[in-house]
Amino acid sequence: MRSPFRISLVVVLALMGNPAVAHHSRSMFDQTKQITLVGTVKEFQWTNPHCWIQVLVPDPGNPGAEPVEWGIEMGAPVELMRKGWKPGSLNPSDKVTIVVNPLRDGQHGGLVLSVTGPDGKIIGRPAETAR
Amino acid sequence: MMANVVRRTVVRRVPWAITAGLIAACLFPANGQTSSKERIKAFAKLPDWSGIWELDAFVGQADGQQFSAEGQRRLKEYATALRPSFTSEYQAKYDAIRKSIEAAIAADPDHPPVTHDPLCAPPPFPATSTPGMYQWRVTPEETTFISTVGAVRHIYTDGRSHPPKDELWPTLMGDSVGHWEGDTLVVDTISTRKRLYMGELSGFFVPTSDQLHFTERIRMVSHDQMQIDYTVEDPVALTEPIRATIVQVRVTDFSRMVEETDCEQNERDPVVNGRFKTVVK
Repeated sequence: MRSPFRISLVVVLALMGNPAVAHHSRSMFDQTKQITLVGTVKEFQWTNPHCWIQVLVPDPGNPGAEPVEWGIEMGAPVELMRKGWKPGSLNPSDKVTIVVNPLRDGQHGGLVLSVTGPDGKIIGRPAETAR
Repeated sequence: MMANVVRRTVVRRVPWAITAGLIAACLFPANGQTSSKERIKAFAKLPDWSGIWELDAFVGQADGQQFSAEGQRRLKEYATALRPSFTSEYQAKYDAIRKSIEAAIAADPDHPPVTHDPLCAPPPFPATSTPGMYQWRVTPEETTFISTVGAVRHIYTDGRSHPPKDELWPTLMGDSVGHWEGDTLVVDTISTRKRLYMGELSGFFVPTSDQLHFTERIRMVSHDQMQIDYTVEDPVALTEPIRATIVQVRVTDFSRMVEETDCEQNERDPVVNGRFKTVVK
């Protein structure tokens, strides 16, 4: 799942039956589920092969508890910049709302569907399937 | 007196002779080299493919690399057009690969198996429909295809043939020679790797033989569109050639080629025992 690459001519053949999948397998994410995370940014990693948002998510039902850290996987830096992102689009302590497809294995991680920044506006290009 | 006149004449004429000699050397260099003027003329005959390009299906991808609805539609069309018709021997090979991968996925659906190698290496031939962005550098002697995910193809247009058989071996990009038919670059490629990559999309490979032969007809059909017509022949693996058309479109929202292959920078989907295990923090 890492590389930002490869669909060669014949790779496209592989799309038969599963055209929604991008250039690498995303089957570790449950694409039938969407979770909305409301929290504060711990770190925005503008890196290859993927950018990540580390976000601290408090439990609204238990405000005294430690917030849970989630890791949110995105595209590669160049791809994100073309969609309106910049390396400084998010900073630590920014309040964000992020919709994700969660990891299947139960870890606190997900694939980004949409990000709403501190000003209440969507950053970048959300997935068409994002609710 | 007479001697002085001759000497003055010679002295006056020597600089002119040197200058004329230098000009002649530039215009008519020795050893068959092309002069600047001839080279400019050769360039002027070539189409202008400058700019940055990408596969049309990738236009409009979202932050998590999800395809747009239009992108999915295009990919379905490609999949239909590119579907191979295997000989029975190669259908069996393909089915075996597919079954083993499906079994691996079923054994642990939460952690997809690695089904290709090596990861984060340049994509294999033909590499003209990978994610990322591309450039076509057209010169009289060679057209070079460069992609941001590490692919480089050299298509020689200087009139050479493929090397003799005993100097060829299967490589990532094979051996490509081309010629121009008007504004269309016709490319002939042999000696690619025997097993073709089918990508992370489903992780499947297309088994092919060493008889694999690609022909591409590449043309800029409009200012914003590049069209590549493929013919894939393999008399051992395919019962009939695969014919398909790939469309690249001009990138207008970015103007730099930025290398994207340094996966070791922040690899958070490492492979553990042959499977991807995502690291969440």
